Formats: sequence, structure tokens, C-alpha cells
Amino acid sequence: MRRDTPGSAAPGAASPGIVAARAATSPRPAGPRRRGRRRLAPLLFIAPAVLFVGATVVYPLLYSVLQSFFDIGLREVVQGGARWVGLDNYVDQFDRPRFWDAFAVSAVYTVASVALTFAIGLGLALLLRRPFRGRDVLRALILVAWVLPTVVSANVWRWLLDGSYGLLNALLRALGLLEGDLFWLGRPTAAVAAVVIATAWSFAPFAMILLAAGLEGIPKGLYEAARIDGASPWRQFRHLTLPQLRPVSLAALLLVFIYTFKNFDTIFLMTAGGPGGATATLPVYAYNEAFEFSRFDTASVATTVLMIVPIALSLWYFRALRKEQSA
Amino acid sequence: MTRAPLRRTATALTALTAALSLTACGVFGGGSADEADAGDGVITFWHYYGDPHGVPLEAMLERYTEETGVEVEPRFIPFEDFGRTLQQQAAAGGLPDVALVNAYETGQLADAGIIEDLSAYADAWGERDAYYDAGWETGQVDGATYGIPHLADDYALYYNEDALAAAGVAVPTTWDEMEAAAAAIADSGAASYGLAVSGIEGAEGATGILLRTLAAGGDLADFGGGAGTAALESFQRMTASGGLSEGFLTWNEDDAMAAFTNGEAAMAINSASAVNVVRENAPDLAWNVAPLPADATEATFLSAENLAIGAGSGDADAAWDLIEWMQQPSVLEEYLPERNKLPARSDVPGAVTDPVRAVFADQLENAWAPTGETALHSTEALTIVQQALQAVISGSATPADAAAEAQAAIDEAMGR
Repeated sequence: MRRDTPGSAAPGAASPGIVAARAATSPRPAGPRRRGRRRLAPLLFIAPAVLFVGATVVYPLLYSVLQSFFDIGLREVVQGGARWVGLDNYVDQFDRPRFWDAFAVSAVYTVASVALTFAIGLGLALLLRRPFRGRDVLRALILVAWVLPTVVSANVWRWLLDGSYGLLNALLRALGLLEGDLFWLGRPTAAVAAVVIATAWSFAPFAMILLAAGLEGIPKGLYEAARIDGASPWRQFRHLTLPQLRPVSLAALLLVFIYTFKNFDTIFLMTAGGPGGATATLPVYAYNEAFEFSRFDTASVATTVLMIVPIALSLWYFRALRKEQSA
Repeated sequence: MTRAPLRRTATALTALTAALSLTACGVFGGGSADEADAGDGVITFWHYYGDPHGVPLEAMLERYTEETGVEVEPRFIPFEDFGRTLQQQAAAGGLPDVALVNAYETGQLADAGIIEDLSAYADAWGERDAYYDAGWETGQVDGATYGIPHLADDYALYYNEDALAAAGVAVPTTWDEMEAAAAAIADSGAASYGLAVSGIEGAEGATGILLRTLAAGGDLADFGGGAGTAALESFQRMTASGGLSEGFLTWNEDDAMAAFTNGEAAMAINSASAVNVVRENAPDLAWNVAPLPADATEATFLSAENLAIGAGSGDADAAWDLIEWMQQPSVLEEYLPERNKLPARSDVPGAVTDPVRAVFADQLENAWAPTGETALHSTEALTIVQQALQAVISGSATPADAAAEAQAAIDEAMGR
């Protein structure tokens, strides 16, 4: 049973066994018709879910993966007749510096965003741990960043950072730190930093909620014991809070990683992958391949890679989790 | 016990994959032409004119219905989604009778079988000679007519008369003069910047550098042959002198025009569609329009749209009648001034009585537009050219290296 963590599979998998066991011990065995209906019932119950997931998740997913093995341009999408080319699209893409550039940008963007999101999320969770006046209001306000539609937040960031009329430059000018205009989103390094900050800003509240729940779960007695032993607040944080928070932290890191790695809208709205491809992550690359240049096959290669990385990471996570639980 | 469900899942997955592979040909088979509806007499008309451009178009279609009694059903789809919607509907068999498409996408749409060959209609009609060559050519694919030009537009130089006078510079007629004037304006403080033009990531931001390349005698397909380098050097000098804001790399066309209307930039490069915008947003601004500066040659960039008939349209004859009606000079004379655009044909004098718009119209004769293979890959080629511009302005490549690299990438894109 432990294997069936993803919930939905469990009832369907377990029930026939239970039915069979009950039938075997029953003094009056049910007739074949009745037993058939009983076996059918659980399947019928899960059928809608299976159909829904199959049609909306499994089918498009396999379709997209399959597409990466065909030669598909606009003509093939409309008229059909796509040719099977095996791994040619992969060979083509893996040979292209632009693909690896996008992969590298994705890696930098994701790692930096996850780290910053986690740091801010943890800071907020620790800050809001102790009750104080206005804590609930503050928590609600922070959540706005997570609830706000990306199209709003990304454009707000774009305007804030504008070189001529942006608020940031107005502030810097008022402080005498800047003369003239400085276009943050027009400079490669600054643009990457900007999309990382914007992403962390919107995901941090989510990390905060997870980590706050984790903090609640740490027994208070441990802190009392630590205090009695004379541990400083820093040592308490380093040797008590952090290790106790490890399982929740891992889950939060994994979820934020997945969200960030596939994130498209923040970057697309803020920089469209610019300047000069400095923020062109794999999702932006895939979008351009498919919808700007009508190369659906190579776009599928990018989306397949985009899918494999988080899946590999999730598998590693579940394995680590299982090892930890059985230990 | 724990193994069985896993194995069952695996079996199910294998079966599903196998089924999908078997249907793969069918899956990627599309479904366009065979689903031609018999024709319901109502002409569906898809366009990407948002407010306010859609208003005169839809009014024009209403006039058609009043005159002929034929019902037209317009549908607005935002530009960003237009191509994708056509692709999806082509695969689903739900294409419109008439589609107003970006001129440079005509070849791609024809190649994909999304729009019909109109050669028979166009030959019988016999009005090809009324059209400017560059515009008409955008509707030609492999010697056949797939699109009829709907209207035309090109790029010219908007200038702020007061700012130029304050800085003591004349309207530049060459790019050398432009560089000097832009720097002088920024130095004098008559405006923050001399020139505003879009340089944003993607094809939109390539217009300025392409115009400069065309003037230097180059082409989109021939960017590396010296002209591209000259153009990149020219833009590099303009940003270095402060005549052109480094921020142009983050500006789209609307942003560049906003900088002009609010007086931040003394000159801007844009198409005639911005004329009404400037008039409305800056009624007190003393401004005018001049032909684009020249270098080795005088050239502007044609921006155009074509009328096409969706593949499998059951009302193709009626759709063609509508296209023919829309292109009558008398209809265009009423429509184009409202729409703020220029005629694609030379026999509509009443459409350009406005002196400002006449400057744009006068340039149409030597307007450049990509054709053939270049048109098929123009979006990608323009994206590559913008990247070269970005690399030069940010200092990560020399103009010569960036132009050579761009040329290699364009050649590769054309070959793919």
C-alpha cells in the first residue's frame, strides 16, 4: 500500500483484493453475476477520474512526446503525412548551442529562483511564527503576491523597472544614486536578476505557507530542552529548526522547482526571453520553436526535456522519502 | 500483492502507447479539406484588428450586407493568437471563408494548405496591374495567387518641429545626417533623445535595423554582406552618442511612439497607422512626417495584409465577390482614411488626400517586402537580426561578428 502514495490509484487497486477475500470467507458464496457486478462497481467509480486524467493529461502528454519523433511543420499539422524520423529531432537539438543556451538559462533561472523563494519563504514563515498585532493582516497581504495573476504582476514589474519612468529609477535618482536612464530589462545580467526576483516574489508566499505548517509541527519541548542546554537562538535555528524542517523543506523545494522550471508567463511578459536571449528559458524556447517558427517537432523535443527533468527529480525525491520512512 | 497493480498499470500504459503509435498517422493527419461545409451563404470573416482598427472594417462589412444582402459574420482574434487559431481550425476543419492575414504569412499558410489558390478568380478579375508590385508579390506563392492585398503601409520619419528647431538641426535626409541630428538634439536638451524606434526582443524590434540595412543596400536574406555591419555600426554610434536611448531594446512600437508623443524623443520611425494616434494623444504637438533617411539607396519596409479564402470554404464564390467588392477604389476611398492606412493599388487617389499620409503613399513605389523563401522564414530571420542588434548594443559582439553570425543563422533557417 505504501507504494500507492498518489492516492487515486489506491482504491481501485485494493478493492478487488478485498472483494475477493470477502467472497472467499463468506459462508454463502455470491453467484458469478453478483461477483462480476461487485468487481465492476469500483472500476465504474474511478472511471470518470481515469477518463478525465487520460483525456486531459496522459493523451496530450504522450501526443507531445510522440510528436518529437516525427518531422512536423505547419503543413503536416494541417494536412497530415508526418514522417517518422526516430531520434533525428533530438540529435538536431542536442547539436544546437541555442538549445543548450536555453537549458543553461533555465538551470540558472530555476536554481536562483528556488533558492531565493525558499530563503524569503522561510524568513516570512519564521517572522510570522510568533503572534503579534496585525499578523493575520500581514499574512493575508503577503498572500496577495501568490494570488495575483501573473499578467498583472509581470507587467507591474516591467513598469517598475522601466529605464525612464520606472519607480525604481525614480527612487535611485531621488537618492542621488543614478543620473539619467538605466534600462534594467535591457541588460542581460540585470534582466536575469529581475525575472528571478519577480518569480521569487510571487512564489515565496506559497513556500511560506508550507514552511509555516512545518514549523507548527516541531514539538515545543525540543526548544525548551535546547534553551535549558543553553543553545543560542542561532544554534537553535541551525541544529533544531532546520533539521526538523527537512521533510517539509524538501517537499517545498521540489514543488517550487517544478513550478519555476516550467514557468513561462512571468518571463514572456517581462522580457520575451530578451535581451538577446539572456532570459530565454526552455519554455520560451519551445514557444518560439512551435508558435513563431512553426517547428512543432523540435518544440516537442524541448518540452519533453522540460518534462523529464522534474520527473527525474520527483522520482529521486520519492525514493529518498521512502528510504527515510523505512529507516 | 503490491506488484500486481503496478504490472497492470504498466500493461495499460503499453497498450495505450501502442494504440497511440498506431493512430499516429491519423493523429497527425489533420482533417481540413474533406470537411468542407456545403456553404450556408453566410461569409465568415476573420481578422486581427482590435479596437479601434476593427470599427471601420466591420462598418465596411455592414455596408456590403446592406448593398448586397449577403450576410457577413466578422470575428476578431487578437494578432498573437491569429496564426495559431488558423492552424488549429485548419486541423479541425473550421476555417473561415475569408481571412485577413499578415502579408508575410501568406506563403506559409498557402504552403500548409490553410488557404485556397485564388489564381482562377484573380485571372478572371484582371486587376493585377492596378497594384504596387511589392504588395502584390506577397500574395504570390510558386506562381499562383493566394492573397489579394487588402491595404498597405510603410515606415517614415516622424519629427517634432519645435525640438528640431530648438536644437538647430534640419530634418535629416541621410543616415549620416540622422546620426548627427540625433546626437545634437540629445546634447542640446531639446528632447531627451533624438530618435525613438522599437528594438524589442523578437521580429517587431527588427524594423529599425532592417530599414537601416535596406538603406545601406542590404536585404533580410543578405544581412552579412557589409550592409548589416554598416547598419549595426550606425545604431551603435547612435546609442553611444545618446541620440538613441539604450532603452529602445525594451520598447515595442507603441512605447517608441509614446516617447515621441510625450516629447521625450524628437524623432520616431513608424508606419502611417500611428498618424491618428499622434493626432489624438498630442493635439498641441507641432510635428510632421518626412521620407526615411537614405544611405546607398532610398528604401522603406512594406507592412501589408492580404485577403485570403480559407481552405475548403463552401462559399468560395461568395467570399471572392466580397474580396472584389472590398478592393473597389470607391469603397477604399471611404474605408482607408477611417482605417488610417494606404491603398495597395495606385488608382485610389481619393484615399490619400491628407498631406501627412501622402508622404507614406509616395514611398510605396520603392517599398521593400520579403518574397519567396525569405518571406517563408521572415519571422525567424527578423528575430535573428534583432538578436544581432541586441548583441552589438550590449557590447557582447562587434558589428562585423554579429552580422556574420546572423547571416549564418539566417542561411540555416532558410535551409531548414
